[in-house]
Amino acid sequence: MRLQELLSPRLHAAALIIVVLAQLIGIVDIPVGLGSILLLPLLFAFAFGLLTNSNIVGRTVGLLKTRHITAASSCVVVAIIPFIAKFGTTVGPALGDIIAAGPALLLQELGNLFTIVFALPVALWVLKMGRESVGATFSVAREPSLAIVADRYGLKSPEGAGVMGVYVVGTLVGTIVFSVLASGLASTDVFDPRALAMACGVGSGSMMAACSGALAAAVPAQADTLIALAGASNLLTYATGMYASLFIALPLVEWIYRRFSPEARRGKAMT
Amino acid sequence: MSQQVAVAEPTEALKLSHEVTLLALVTIMCIPLQLMATDLGIGQIIGGLTVLAGIGVAGVVIARLLPMLKLPSVAWVSIVGIAATIPGTPWAGAVLRWVENIDFLALTPPCLAYAAMAITAREISIARTSGWKILIVGVLVLLGTYIGSVLIAELMLGVS
Repeated sequence: MRLQELLSPRLHAAALIIVVLAQLIGIVDIPVGLGSILLLPLLFAFAFGLLTNSNIVGRTVGLLKTRHITAASSCVVVAIIPFIAKFGTTVGPALGDIIAAGPALLLQELGNLFTIVFALPVALWVLKMGRESVGATFSVAREPSLAIVADRYGLKSPEGAGVMGVYVVGTLVGTIVFSVLASGLASTDVFDPRALAMACGVGSGSMMAACSGALAAAVPAQADTLIALAGASNLLTYATGMYASLFIALPLVEWIYRRFSPEARRGKAMT
Repeated sequence: MSQQVAVAEPTEALKLSHEVTLLALVTIMCIPLQLMATDLGIGQIIGGLTVLAGIGVAGVVIARLLPMLKLPSVAWVSIVGIAATIPGTPWAGAVLRWVENIDFLALTPPCLAYAAMAITAREISIARTSGWKILIVGVLVLLGTYIGSVLIAELMLGVS
């Protein structure tokens, strides 16, 4: 893509107006039951961004056309850099804390396996999905998982449709789900905020941003430690999460599918 | 379920010069946000954001120099950020003085704004064809991963 297209004034002017508006609104605290949910400027920025996207609001009202949208996708990976750099600089000084939390930090990567507990049974028995459920539930479906599925089944297979579907759902609602969960759980005081922070790192960079942002706003006294733990966890996700998905989760989902799924059992009965 | 689900469009790799130009643009966009979010003076804000951008450029360059390690450039940015602030190094004090008070929450809106602006027609059509079932499964996957990780971390913190 040419630099001129990447630097489209319409795209970046819209972005500037959106982020300033979002920051002006600030943090909105909504009490819910025992706790509260924090709506952060980043969520408002996301919502306003959707309103400019002609794929969402339609060709006629949408401010941004296809060429702007293509340029925007290049901007996402760059726009997260200052944030990730800041994360790194909170991890460095907190290395002592992080090493102390080492075993917890390493093992919580296996939390990925809980997708199997929560999502696979619903996919198989409630929604009666077929092979899509394998691709959909073996991981949190970020880029490394797409690579695994593309390599093993191809992205045009049912497994590929499953992983792509969850990938897109994650892109669309992931930041909202993670920040609402983190602030909601933090306000109930049931869990150690450090555990909530480590779990923030399991998804994509923007999910971590939303999640740890919500946590830091909910527990400001520990903000630095929490941000550092989330950052360290996200870094570990790149290093270890993919292997947990590939060598533990995927074989396990395959085994459960072959053994228990209504569709696979029907297939067996026929042969 | 429809079989015409398309392969994910890999975002075209950016040229280094383009990536640095965009990073400069995003950094400038962050200045008003920091002015709103912190009590820092404009000089401190520009200085702090410049240091962060410098860490970013270093990470992006390393990712290009060491492609065989297959780490995404954000992982390198994070590693450079850590290396720049490890206690005891001669540079950590200076780096931290600049970046410490930069508000991290106010660094996030640009990324999320672009993420929303970048949603493609293809992604919308995948969401439509996969339908409400995949939406339910997807939300359960997100919930399951987060809650699973919280439970394990909580358990391990309790043990150690």
